[in-house]
Amino acid sequence: MSLLNHRLARPGAYTVLLVIAWFVPYSVGSYEMHILDTALVYAVLAVGQGLVMGIAGQINLAQVAFLGVGAYTTAILTTHNHLGFWAAAVLAVLASALIGLIVGLPALRVQSHYLGIVTLGLSLAFLNWVTNASIAGSGSGIPGIPVPPLGSVDLSSDYLYYYLELVVFTLGLAFGLFVVRTRLGRRLRAMRDDSLAAGSLGASIPVLRMTSFLLAGVYGGVAGVLYAGLIRFVAPETFSTSNMFLLLAMVVIGGRQSLWGCVVGALVLSIVQNELTDLSTYSQLGYGSVVVLMVVFLPTGLAGVPSQLLRLRRHSTGGTSLTLGQFQPYDAAATTSAGEGVLLDLDGVTMRFKGLTALDQVSLTVHEGEIRGIVGPNGSGKTTLFNVISGLYHASGGTVRFGGTRIVGMRPNRLAHLGMARTFQNLRLFRNLTVREHLLTALDRTPTRWAWRYVLWPFGVQHGEKFLRAEAEQLLDRFGLAPFADAIPYSLPYGIQRRVELARAMSAHPRLLLLDEPAAGLNGAEKAQLAEIVGSIRDSGTTVVIIEHDMSLVMSLCGRVTVLAAGQVIADGLPTEVAANPQVIEAYLGRAAQNTPTVEDEPAALGSEEHA
Amino acid sequence: MHTTRSSRTTLAVSSVVLCLAAAAACSAPSDKSNSSSGGDSSAPIKIAVVDAQSGENSALGAWEYKGAKLAVDQWNAKGGIDGRKIQLHLFDDKGDPTTGTNIASKLASQGYAAMIGTAESGVTVAMEPTLQSAQIPNITSGQSPQIIASKDPFVFLNGPTSTTYDATLAKYVIDTKGLKKVAMITNNGSYGKGEHDAFLAELKKRGLSPTTDQVVTTNQIDFSAALTTIKKTNPQVVFIGSEEVEAGLIVKQARSLGITAPFAGAAPQGTPVYISTAGAAHAEGTIVSSPYLNNEATAQSKSFAAAYQAAYKQTAELHGAKAYDGTSIVLTALKNSHVATGKKLADAIRATNYQGLLGNFSFDATGVGIFATKIGIVKSGQLAAAS
Amino acid sequence: MQVFLQTLVGGLSLGAVYALVALGFALVYRTMGLVNFAHADVLMIGAYVASTFTMSEHLPFAVAVVAAMVITGLIGLVIERMLRPLEGKDFDLMLIGTIGFGIVLEALATLIWGATGRAVPSPVDTPPLHLLGASIPTYDLVVVGVAIVAMIALTLFLERTRRGIAMQAVAMDYDAASAAGINVGRSNAIAFSIGAGLAALAGALVGPLLYVSPSMGGSIGIDGFAAAILGGFGSIPGAVIGGVVIGLLSSFSAGHFHGYSDLVTFLVFAVLVMIRPTGLFGERTVSRA
Repeated sequence: MSLLNHRLARPGAYTVLLVIAWFVPYSVGSYEMHILDTALVYAVLAVGQGLVMGIAGQINLAQVAFLGVGAYTTAILTTHNHLGFWAAAVLAVLASALIGLIVGLPALRVQSHYLGIVTLGLSLAFLNWVTNASIAGSGSGIPGIPVPPLGSVDLSSDYLYYYLELVVFTLGLAFGLFVVRTRLGRRLRAMRDDSLAAGSLGASIPVLRMTSFLLAGVYGGVAGVLYAGLIRFVAPETFSTSNMFLLLAMVVIGGRQSLWGCVVGALVLSIVQNELTDLSTYSQLGYGSVVVLMVVFLPTGLAGVPSQLLRLRRHSTGGTSLTLGQFQPYDAAATTSAGEGVLLDLDGVTMRFKGLTALDQVSLTVHEGEIRGIVGPNGSGKTTLFNVISGLYHASGGTVRFGGTRIVGMRPNRLAHLGMARTFQNLRLFRNLTVREHLLTALDRTPTRWAWRYVLWPFGVQHGEKFLRAEAEQLLDRFGLAPFADAIPYSLPYGIQRRVELARAMSAHPRLLLLDEPAAGLNGAEKAQLAEIVGSIRDSGTTVVIIEHDMSLVMSLCGRVTVLAAGQVIADGLPTEVAANPQVIEAYLGRAAQNTPTVEDEPAALGSEEHA
Repeated sequence: MHTTRSSRTTLAVSSVVLCLAAAAACSAPSDKSNSSSGGDSSAPIKIAVVDAQSGENSALGAWEYKGAKLAVDQWNAKGGIDGRKIQLHLFDDKGDPTTGTNIASKLASQGYAAMIGTAESGVTVAMEPTLQSAQIPNITSGQSPQIIASKDPFVFLNGPTSTTYDATLAKYVIDTKGLKKVAMITNNGSYGKGEHDAFLAELKKRGLSPTTDQVVTTNQIDFSAALTTIKKTNPQVVFIGSEEVEAGLIVKQARSLGITAPFAGAAPQGTPVYISTAGAAHAEGTIVSSPYLNNEATAQSKSFAAAYQAAYKQTAELHGAKAYDGTSIVLTALKNSHVATGKKLADAIRATNYQGLLGNFSFDATGVGIFATKIGIVKSGQLAAAS
Repeated sequence: MQVFLQTLVGGLSLGAVYALVALGFALVYRTMGLVNFAHADVLMIGAYVASTFTMSEHLPFAVAVVAAMVITGLIGLVIERMLRPLEGKDFDLMLIGTIGFGIVLEALATLIWGATGRAVPSPVDTPPLHLLGASIPTYDLVVVGVAIVAMIALTLFLERTRRGIAMQAVAMDYDAASAAGINVGRSNAIAFSIGAGLAALAGALVGPLLYVSPSMGGSIGIDGFAAAILGGFGSIPGAVIGGVVIGLLSSFSAGHFHGYSDLVTFLVFAVLVMIRPTGLFGERTVSRA
């Protein structure tokens, strides 16, 4: 497939699919039509589940309850309050969006299986409410929901209802895909892969988590309205745990990280389930087994099949070359601001963990335009120091000033917006994002709450995307990463991964760059390139603080060096002064034996993971 | 994933939508298969059984299918109706209303003459609109007031309503036995709520109120709080409105808490599942209002039970008997009307007077055909007629 | 007062059941770092197997329980072997995989034993004890006793035996443990089959209290899982305390809110988890950050 063809292939394929979908009713019987109608409800629901679980990584087991909120609200408002169907529909979507936010609240505190059980519990609470409340039919459900009126179109026909669903579904899927492929989706996926790193790039994790649950609630509500209009009866049994697990199976089988996969999974499983209605226990056995086999052998689901095949083919044809391009130095800043003002100022910073003092009264001043080295034996508190500065840890005592602002207690994403960026000792790259997407995520400096623009002004989002992409291309070229732009970093050699992380941190052109052992695992040539890059970064006006074990690199690069031992600053000065300091020599000799090998070991251990 | 491409996609897709919308306005699709039966006068007559065969209510579904199948097999053995064989198809609704509507569409499009089931009111109500517009008569085992309230001419009940069950029960317990201190424990499900309302209405009619009115959930395990409260009010009898298993657990726990008063309830409290869950000793003395007390009641029920035993190697029980009656009524109506379908078949069912296992069926406008139950008492693990 | 005492007794017996379920969750999590959503379905299989042995084969209750534990232990080995490629890698995928296994086990039970379910007679049928006006069924005391013994035995196993300590090392750092020469695969297989055996123990004990059917795992599993989380996931005493808390919470909310008790129970649970995400005793593995 050539690049030119690819550009046209996608809209073409969409059009063909839509035309097929449009003419399906002309060739099916009324039973098949009804099955397709219910399958489409599940497809809309599955898009929501895909967004919250597959894209944002939130284990949400309340999606079927969102469907229930939408359907029940429509039913109650139309039959009890005698509201028109469409007015009820709007309120129903708002209600399930609100419930989505409420169910999402625990995600601010807990994740993973904790979130799973809490959301499952809340959906049981909902089920309990509709079973009891007389307004919800006291367990017998609510019959007599009116047919949605639509001009002269009679929506009581399953055939015509299909078109309503098709339009809503197409819009829903298109919006979902739009979200996934633009800045909000990249941030959500970045959060899913590594919330710490995503936060350090400026994304507000709480806002993102709530946004994902809001989306899940909206899709659930829309599906619920469609359900109410189609079945025109709601009862508690529809929103049971076993249907939640069925939805989960749909999303996993289809491929949770791809919205198309979720849709395919929902359609296929709905239809197969109904075809096997005489053999339902066997079909239960079947889809349970398929879920198990899928998670073990095909974790990306059906949606992952094409890319897996592609990868196999690429393997057999030898693949692309894997050499880094040349770094193109930054233009030197107009005014070299070396030594002018204080950029980072730590005063008496102390960090205690349950009886262990990791940092003890650390004071440190970094001037603008400096390259500061932080050295010290393992366990001396260097990374803890970075975590305090970058907001991952809340210091137990002391003050940190960044550009004159007190920053203790600020979240990493706020600090990122103030102009701070960092890399991590053990490479926190996003497992399922391409190199280009890494840079696009990092380039996006808009506050996370700007996600409302997706609803009110999607064209603005689309427009901004153009600029981001242009910037990303520049950055890819500058860091010599253009040949790997569409590769997943973890499939690349270690040196390139390091380069990606550096490029990601430099995306927003920060005032202060914190580098945590950037040379670990690099070979001699790569280290030389690193020194050149860091130098250029400083010349461009970014102040650099660097933790490094490679003393020759520190000596050649850093203007000043601070030495930590057992959480305290034991020396601070020019590299040559520090190297001659007897206290420093003692601190190092005492531990030197254990130090060096661990530094070398780490990349090897990480390397073994990439074959997974 | 270029920006321009996405916007182009949006444009292309939306223009296609507009074109297609315009196209559809001209000719709307509809069902052209038109397979409603009746035309072919030698093909088998298709009857559907729709019930949960998996999930929590599958026991009911299994019993109903056995009862319905027994009736069909007996008629087929006698040569069918007007020389046509009867085909019985089983559909699993999983107790899920959505699946129910899918099955309803299937029945409508595949020319089924009538439908037996379901045992879950929610599923029956969900299926009703589709079945009504397809004019397929439906003999349901549900007894929710909603089914009756709909006045759907195609829906018939194969048993009495909660009102009939509880009127008979109240008459016996309160009027005959003079037990006026009645405590109530019901669950909040569709069945339990129906029983709760029906029995409470009977008490009110007599100017009584329950000593306590305890509501539990359908999946509750520990009933200490509700039962201790009941015990404190020292009732003469405890009305129980809950399905077999939960009722059994309630009675078992009640006995261990020292509640000695007898329990009284409707059909579920006469079943072997209830008695074995509670333990035969604990269930002893339970007063049951049921149209089908045991297999020994009449000559008709004896021969039904024998045939059931021969076919399935199991003892017949109420739900099988209900389905057997319902199916027999449909088959009789088919015979009387010379295999009519749709509205005519529904009318034929309404016109059928049928002497069944449960009693005399004669349907009224709401689809209820039987208005009497009998009172039974659980004695040494068996339900026997009250003397 | 009588209502209060009796509700307390009911809640405590229910708590013992949840505690037994939670112990299995906790053990597997502590030793493998895996959340096993199929646990309650293994429990259901255990209940069926044990009741089959006592009712059809007329084996003594204790023998039937042991036999059920052996059989579910084997099922545990199969599940562990299937999911082994994911161990130490993708946590959420494993969780979904166990949900898949739960669905499979439920379908299998329906095929083998039918959907109807069965009532199981209580192996201990002596009259209840009376204390301050509250009555305590003797069988409930057996369940409470077994829960306490299981808690002590598991604690001793994990803290005092070499194998137990090695197993915990696996959950804390998969790579380091295998580098240190621990046979990670075998350690996990053993942990998982012990967890499955515990499920059978719980199932066999719960059977006579409830009704054995293919779908019995559902609500017991969710409440047991909630108990494990409340106590601090992976903590053995925490599982027992969590079980008691959930048991009391359900019983008292049933007493006060009647039909709405589930709503109240799960809302309170959600709030408790938000206030103290690591539970009463704190999570017993290293954070996965």
